[in-house]
Amino acid sequence: MNLTIFIVAAALLALVQVLRITVGRRRHASKNTNLTLELQPLDLEAFRNLADPFEDAYLRLHLPAWDYLRVRHARLQAISAYVRVASHNAAILAQIGQGALMQKDARRSEAASQLVEDAFLLRRNAFVALGRIYVAMAWPASGSAITPFQQQYLKVGTSAMLFGRLQDPADAARFSVAIQ
Amino acid sequence: MLQAHSLIWHYLWVAPHVLQLGFALLLWRRGLHRRLPVFFCFLIFEALEEFVLYGLDLTPSVRPQVWWDAFCTGVILEGLFRFAVIAELLQSLLRDWPSLARTGRNVVGGFGAFLILFASVAAAIRDPGETHWMITSAHLLQQTFYITQAGLILSIFLLAAYFHVAWSKLEFGIALGFGIAWCEHLAAWAVTASGAFDGARNLFDVANMATYHVAVLIWIYYLLAPEPVSLQSSELPADHHLETWNRELERLLQL
Repeated sequence: MNLTIFIVAAALLALVQVLRITVGRRRHASKNTNLTLELQPLDLEAFRNLADPFEDAYLRLHLPAWDYLRVRHARLQAISAYVRVASHNAAILAQIGQGALMQKDARRSEAASQLVEDAFLLRRNAFVALGRIYVAMAWPASGSAITPFQQQYLKVGTSAMLFGRLQDPADAARFSVAIQ
Repeated sequence: MLQAHSLIWHYLWVAPHVLQLGFALLLWRRGLHRRLPVFFCFLIFEALEEFVLYGLDLTPSVRPQVWWDAFCTGVILEGLFRFAVIAELLQSLLRDWPSLARTGRNVVGGFGAFLILFASVAAAIRDPGETHWMITSAHLLQQTFYITQAGLILSIFLLAAYFHVAWSKLEFGIALGFGIAWCEHLAAWAVTASGAFDGARNLFDVANMATYHVAVLIWIYYLLAPEPVSLQSSELPADHHLETWNRELERLLQL
C-alpha cells in the first residue's frame, strides 16, 4: 500500500509539473518584453579571480585552516551566484537566437543557430558547474573545476557578438557587452 | 451512471478513438504524417485496437479469457508503440540542435533506465492477491509501462523547460496530451494493481477513458489553433545600460 501511495503521489507531482511548464510557456509567449533587457551583466574579471586555483592555493597556505574553510565557502557561494547569472544569460540568448532563426538572411540565421548551440552548451555546463560547486561546498578537499565553464561563457559572448553584428552592423558588440 | 455498459461508458470508450481517427485524417491531409510517422501509425493502431476490444466486450459469445488475452496483447504492443512515440517526440525536439541532442538522449535515456528498474522492482514486490493471474499481470504491465512512460515524458518536459528549447505547437500539444493522460493512468493503474478499491474499478476505467478523451481534444486543439504570435522582441537594450556594460567589457579587454 505504501508503494501505491508513493506512485500516486509521484504521478500527481509529475502532472502538476507538466501543467506548470505548460502555463509558464503560455505566459512567457504572451509577455510583451524585450528579452535583451533581461540579460544581466557579469563581471568576468571578478569571476576569474574568484575561480582562480592559484588564489585558492594562496589562501590555503596563508590562512589558518578554519578561516580558510570559511573564506572558501563564501567564495564558492559567490562563484555559484556568478554561474547562475551566466546560466540565466544563456537561457535568454537561446531564446533570442531561436526567435531569430527564421530570418531570410542566411548569415543571420546561421549566426543565430550558432548562438543557440553555444547557449545550450553553456547552460548544460552551468548545470554541471553548479553541481561541482555544491560538492566542493560539502567536501572542502575537492576542487571547484569551473575553468572550462568560463571559457564556454566567453565563446557564447563571441557568438552573441557575431549575431549582434549581423542584426545591426552599427553596434557590433551590443549582445556581447550585454552579457559581460 | 458511471457503471460498465452505461451510456457514458460506451461514449467514453468509443468517442475518443473516433475523434482520434479524425485527428489522424487531419494530419494526413496537412501532410504532417510525414513529420511524425510513428505517432500517426500509433493513432491508427490504438484506435483499431480499442474498437476490437470494444467489439469483443460487447459480443456475448466471447469468453473472458479471450478478452483478457486480447487486452494483454494490446497492452504490450501499444506500450512498445508509445516508447517509439516518445523517441520520436524527443528527436523532433532536439533535431536542430546537435550539441543538445547527445545530452538530451543521455539524460532521458538514463532516467528511462532508472524508471524501468524502479518499475520492475515495483511489479516484483506486489502482492498478487486472489485475483486471476492474468488480470493481475495485465494490471502490473500497465503500471510498469506507465511508470516508465509518464517519467519519460516528464523528463522531456523538464529538459525543454530547462534549456528553453522552442517546441513546435503540434509536438508540444501531443506531449501535453500524453503527459496529462499518462500521469492520470499511472495513478489509476497503480491503485487498480494494488487491489485497493476493487469495488470502484469502474470509476478508474471511466476516469482513464475520460482523461484520454481530454488528451485527444488537446491534440486537436493544438493542431487547429493558430500559432501564437510572440510579442517578444530581441531589440537591443537602451544605451544607458550599454554604457555600464561597455565599461565592464573595456576592463576585461585590458587584461
